[in-house]
Amino acid sequence: MFKELDPILHSQLRLAVMSLLISVKEAEFTFIREKTNATAGNLSVQVQKLKDAGYIDVVKQFKDNYPQTTCKITEAGISAFEAYVKALQEYLKV
Amino acid sequence: MPQEEEHFSAHQSLAIIESMIQKAQNRFSENGTLYLLWGWVIFICCTFHYTLLTITQNQIWGNIWALTIVAVLYQFYFLFKKNKKKAVRTYTDDIISGVWSCFGIVMGIASFIMYKLGSWSLLYSFILLFYGIPTFLSGIIMRFKPLIIGGICCWILSIISVFVQTKEILLLLAPAVLSAWIIPGYLLKAKYNQQNG
Repeated sequence: MFKELDPILHSQLRLAVMSLLISVKEAEFTFIREKTNATAGNLSVQVQKLKDAGYIDVVKQFKDNYPQTTCKITEAGISAFEAYVKALQEYLKV
Repeated sequence: MPQEEEHFSAHQSLAIIESMIQKAQNRFSENGTLYLLWGWVIFICCTFHYTLLTITQNQIWGNIWALTIVAVLYQFYFLFKKNKKKAVRTYTDDIISGVWSCFGIVMGIASFIMYKLGSWSLLYSFILLFYGIPTFLSGIIMRFKPLIIGGICCWILSIISVFVQTKEILLLLAPAVLSAWIIPGYLLKAKYNQQNG
């Protein structure tokens, strides 16, 4: 049914993360977790999959002695997201 | 957000995209602090300067404007703390920050030019003209009407200032900062508090 859709993006949580990141310049892991209502463990796994696909950049650093993970969408991520939305529009004939 | 990966429809996909984009954009990160800081600092400086100049006829009261240096220092401290706490950085934040940086640079260069060329009579007209630019643009970017109106008020006062080439020109700064920064600052604060509970 959705064979033409990018399997990396066609997952509820990964799609939610990409939709958030396409709207902002960069966001911390905690912000994404709060907005998606996902568990930290599940979100970590999905973020890693998006990173492996080259769709997002993940920067891990320390801020005030606490670990901080910042995510940012890449050019490849933007292109993939746009292609996904276009495929959806074609499917829905919007 | 369901955690398992299951098949979901195209309509559900669009709903997720729409909901997340709205969640990201609905944040209102501006709490009005810097608008209020600068609004009140300029308001106090111009009214004190005018009142004391009228009473004593002494130009020394122009030094009250040194208060702006304290405001600049506080602004750096405030922005440093705010950026440290920030969990998300939006394009809107960056654009607004760029607009206000331009304003600061232009104000600095314009003051230098007028000081060097001795055209102090033009200074207040240009200050009012410049106040309107970042205020109006911030209003457009944030879709916040009070700032747009405030920017327009500054431009009207800038035109009026051409006809007020006496020390009363100082008093034009008060309605300018009241309409451009103080009133919008309190409205931004109220909106921010309402959104963040």
